[in-house]
Amino acid sequence: MTDATIITAISLGVTFLFMLGVPVFLIIGYWVIGTSFVLGQTLDNVGAELSNVFVKGFALLAMPLFILTGDLINKSGIARRLSDFAYSILGWLRGGLAMAAIGACGLFAAISGSNSATTATIGSMLHPEMIKGGYDERFSAATAAAGGTVGIIIPPSIIFIVYGYLMGLSISDLFIAGIVPGALMVLAMMFAAWIICTINGWGYLIPLRLGRILKTAFGAWLGFFAIGLVLYGIYTGKFSPTEAAAVTVGFCVIVGLICYPLNRIMHNHGSDTPVDEKSFRDMAVVEGFKLTEVPSITMRSAQITGILAPLIGISVVMQQNMSLLGAQAVIGNFVISMGGFYAVLFTAMAIVFVAGMVLESLPVTIILAPILAPIAASVGVDPVHFAVIFLVGASIGFITPPYGLNLYVASGVTGVPYFRLLKYIVPYLVALVFVWFLVALVPSLSLMLLPN
Amino acid sequence: MSVWSEAAMIIPTMLGGDWWEITQSLRTSGAWITGTVATLLGGLLIAFIYAAVPFIDRHFERTIMVYSYLGIAVIIFVEVIRRFVFSLQAPWSTTVPPVLFLFMAWVGCSYNIRLRTHLAFNEFRMNMPRKMQFACLTLDAVLWLGFCIIIVVTGMRVTANAADNFQILEGTDNIMKWWFLISLPIAFMMMAGRVIENWYEDYRNLKSGAPLISQAVIGGDA
Repeated sequence: MTDATIITAISLGVTFLFMLGVPVFLIIGYWVIGTSFVLGQTLDNVGAELSNVFVKGFALLAMPLFILTGDLINKSGIARRLSDFAYSILGWLRGGLAMAAIGACGLFAAISGSNSATTATIGSMLHPEMIKGGYDERFSAATAAAGGTVGIIIPPSIIFIVYGYLMGLSISDLFIAGIVPGALMVLAMMFAAWIICTINGWGYLIPLRLGRILKTAFGAWLGFFAIGLVLYGIYTGKFSPTEAAAVTVGFCVIVGLICYPLNRIMHNHGSDTPVDEKSFRDMAVVEGFKLTEVPSITMRSAQITGILAPLIGISVVMQQNMSLLGAQAVIGNFVISMGGFYAVLFTAMAIVFVAGMVLESLPVTIILAPILAPIAASVGVDPVHFAVIFLVGASIGFITPPYGLNLYVASGVTGVPYFRLLKYIVPYLVALVFVWFLVALVPSLSLMLLPN
Repeated sequence: MSVWSEAAMIIPTMLGGDWWEITQSLRTSGAWITGTVATLLGGLLIAFIYAAVPFIDRHFERTIMVYSYLGIAVIIFVEVIRRFVFSLQAPWSTTVPPVLFLFMAWVGCSYNIRLRTHLAFNEFRMNMPRKMQFACLTLDAVLWLGFCIIIVVTGMRVTANAADNFQILEGTDNIMKWWFLISLPIAFMMMAGRVIENWYEDYRNLKSGAPLISQAVIGGDA
């Protein structure tokens, strides 16, 4: 039996295990073990890499820290204020609450770096209100799932961190390059939501009032400050993305701890009170949290990190084995055989899209980026531009069945069964694919904000 | 020397404490036998401890995860502030957080095994008959245990090698790197404990008629 036959058998075998529901970590792990035998490699490399990825990966630390910021701004009440602000601006439109949910995802994503945290936070916060507002529950869950995709495009982003770490690109540059495409994704999804809601007549309208906008903007000042802090760090280069993440965590913890007693002293209303019944004084501080709550907030982030970090570790070994097997050359030759600039670009996008349907975005990035990025560079695609194209595609993978992580998260937080929300994902998918092509065809959308 | 003799020599060699000899003994094929036995017995012992002391079952991994996490954030945050205000930064501030991340990642992996929240495509499995579901859960357990054995053995080799070479954690004067690297095989032994615990729970559920698979909620137990 040839090596190629054995590797095909291994790949089919782990695909079968995947369909049986075996965890993705094990799927990749056993593929690595199987191919290591074919390559005649010692398994010691697996044990060594599963340590080295973390021990040598200071840049990777931004990932858990930006996940933690998401949970901290949620618990402190900052996320709620950001969503109130989004609703006050968009509530006068048909489907305003759905659009506000997407806008809130964008604002939340500007502080947190995680797609699932974005979906979970905004979904659990706004789904009940959307149901009360007369929206279809499937549409509401689909909105949370789709909105979460910008969590990894609008900076900070854990997937940009992994991509930059792997490909030796400046993570700060990648963050900056994600700003405009992320904003376009938000706008495109809002447009899709508006069309669906207009056709179905969902949602009630609230008048557009300057006073309300100013009040909610004032109430969200801590969120804007946190966004400014992240952007300041990234733009000026005063601190690395990992340090920016730690500073944002520190800021959120300090804000939470100071606001909690202040809120009680000022006898402020809680987050359940409608914005119209709150005064500017009520909006000055957020609810915050007690010091004793910090471990439980951290625990939630730690659990998510405990899922993603091992996947990164094992995917790095998988990528090494794929490289040794010559997969890079095979896929590379296939992509190059497609022709010139656009053919290569679109073939690479198709590969990312298909991979995103069956794999989590981290393995997709770790496995495919080192293969596709050099090919794209060889036909003249700017590396940062390609990173954005690649990662927008990977983010779309969060809502493409059968393996769309955000669909599972949205299903989990809203209680809407997985298969039922698929119908309303389609319009968002169309909108996102449109933006994806736009970003691919217009490099300046990604590169315009980069410092020269 | 036969593979069984090699296996039998590993524990006495480890108790001897000479890292060069330990490294040599772990390089033998016998290490796989000892590693298999150690992982399974270690896992059983850990599962037994979890069953006997629910406090440990509930809090041990969570405590490590939370305080490693907070340690990472505090060290980096404080050092950034020190750099801005005092133009000072401890040399270990960029090397200790990654090893804390190593702890957190693998202990977190173990915790997620317990909660069954590792990412998986469960749609087909959830619609299978109960016996098939139990077979799938047993398959998971076997695959996890197999992987744990591999990482316990290879992780111990990496650890012993670091100790044998007197590798010091970068940025420090006297903190040995293997003190941190050993967390990998230990974490995978803890995972073996969780796998055994879960499988026993599945077996009891099968016998009692309780649901075998339920929708996992990420962050649901935080």
